[in-house]
Amino acid sequence: MPRRHLIIGGGTAGMNAMRTIREEEREPSEITLVSAEKPYSRMVLPYYLDRSIAEQHVFTTSAALLAQWKVKTHVGRRAAALDTKANVCTLDDGSKVEYDDCLIATGSSAVRAPVPGADGANVHSFWTLDECRGVIASVTPGSHVVMIGAGFISFTILNSILALGAKLTIVEVAPRILPRMIDDAGAEVIEEWLRAHGVTIRTNVKVTKIEDARGKKRVKFASGGDLVCDVVIMATGIKTNLEWLKDSGVRMNRGIIVDDHLRSNVPNVYAAGDVAEGRDLVSGQPALHAIEPTAQEHGRVVGANMAGKDIAYKGSLIINIVEVCHLDAASFGAWDDAKADTVVGAKRDRSAYRKYLFTGDRLTGAIIIGRSGDVWTTNDVGMLKGLVQTGVRLGRFKDYLKAHPFDVKTAYIASGTAGTLLPETVLGRPAKAPGETPVAV
Amino acid sequence: MKVLKITPERCTGCLRCEIACSYVQVGAFQPAKSVIRVSPFEGHTSYAPYTCTQCAEGWCMTACPVGAITINAAGAKDVLDDRCVGCKLCTIACPYGTVFYDASTRKAFKCNLCGGDPACVHACPTAAIEYEEVATRDWLHDFAAERASHVLATNGGRR
Repeated sequence: MPRRHLIIGGGTAGMNAMRTIREEEREPSEITLVSAEKPYSRMVLPYYLDRSIAEQHVFTTSAALLAQWKVKTHVGRRAAALDTKANVCTLDDGSKVEYDDCLIATGSSAVRAPVPGADGANVHSFWTLDECRGVIASVTPGSHVVMIGAGFISFTILNSILALGAKLTIVEVAPRILPRMIDDAGAEVIEEWLRAHGVTIRTNVKVTKIEDARGKKRVKFASGGDLVCDVVIMATGIKTNLEWLKDSGVRMNRGIIVDDHLRSNVPNVYAAGDVAEGRDLVSGQPALHAIEPTAQEHGRVVGANMAGKDIAYKGSLIINIVEVCHLDAASFGAWDDAKADTVVGAKRDRSAYRKYLFTGDRLTGAIIIGRSGDVWTTNDVGMLKGLVQTGVRLGRFKDYLKAHPFDVKTAYIASGTAGTLLPETVLGRPAKAPGETPVAV
Repeated sequence: MKVLKITPERCTGCLRCEIACSYVQVGAFQPAKSVIRVSPFEGHTSYAPYTCTQCAEGWCMTACPVGAITINAAGAKDVLDDRCVGCKLCTIACPYGTVFYDASTRKAFKCNLCGGDPACVHACPTAAIEYEEVATRDWLHDFAAERASHVLATNGGRR
């Protein structure tokens, strides 16, 4: 039995792994956490940005709780190298931590577009708590904010920027917004909605330079038409934090290659969250999801396996939701599968849009857009997730759903989706509530 | 654990459960704010209430990034309003479609079994909703499959 667990990364995957080790183990073990930052939830930073929560609210643990869990901590330190022969991790201050098994959950970092001025004053990324603090210090009521990149990260902070009283312009090199979350027609619905709500959007524009301009910033484009603003936020993507592993012998593709127990090619080294190429539930293929729910499930599965359980992971489902100016947009599974049998439903006057993608008589992907206050939107998001997650055979209800895309409930209930779901658990037992984690002594 | 046992054949579609639920949950007589929702079948000639099963996995609870969903004394998954930031992740993580978002409070809300004394059970005049110590199951599947089939048989699923 591994007695010394090393958790590298204190984000969602690492925190879930530590909690699950303590939930599952029969005998007490040592846990050591190496975390570059004090653990917090990235998901809730947008709510700190607009001050709807206090900074304290973002933290997912405290020194006291970690002490209660008997976790030895190296907070503020990064892992610099992993010797998988000697089972030793070297930290950035040269200190070494020995382990019996270890979890790599080092997450991702924001990447800026490689243009001159990208590292200048008042040009921010929005990914870490520190970066969030930087944006908070820069944006004031009446500021003009230019957000470079119209992807998921931009959209999660769009409401907060507006709530701070700033004027917002979004610029995107692609011909449309949210290219990795929503299809073309859905993107059009959201763009139209945002324009009606006072957000300026420029697509198909390539930033060439960011200059200082008498206390302001000037963003230059290949096609001309400079923008002068107060603050620039670059939301131009993320990359996995894996460089430190290059001589470790851990096999990597875009992320760390793992088996169905989330083990790497080195049997006592696991990977979870953004850095792990775990199984995608719909395709069955390895995929780099980099989303919160995948990190949670990965972390729990690894924690159970580190504690001596034998938990095979079925795979994670891509799910995303973002609300912009009271319009919800969500997508599930293989929403961009060109080979799928597809049906689209739209109520343009309500900014409501649906797209369902079927493989045979199973729903394998879905997109839903609608006003946050519309009951038919809020009713259906979870059911669409359930249909994609279970892959329940719809039989004749597939045609029903195609004919009535805004009546998901009938097909959901009549095809027995709830009954398929009831026995399903990730760890083979009921989940425990947060805060009721026992510590074996 | 006591669960909401649904006998859809007894439901008359009177919506008293929704009215009682919304009143206890949010203090308003407003079906849109109810966490038990009555669905029509067979062209509004039969009805069935649908709500959270308090499933073992608790997809909403494990998904919450700030630990704002817990298990209350009745064994129900319950949203802690002072922890919830309104990120909606639980609403898409729940595969049953039974976690909702209240735009006026900017919080998620769901069935918490009224802490162990469910208002919908008291309100139901025909005992279509009972609160009993039984294993939960998919109470509506057979009922819905049969009735929805009638619709498919008569118009082939097309309006």
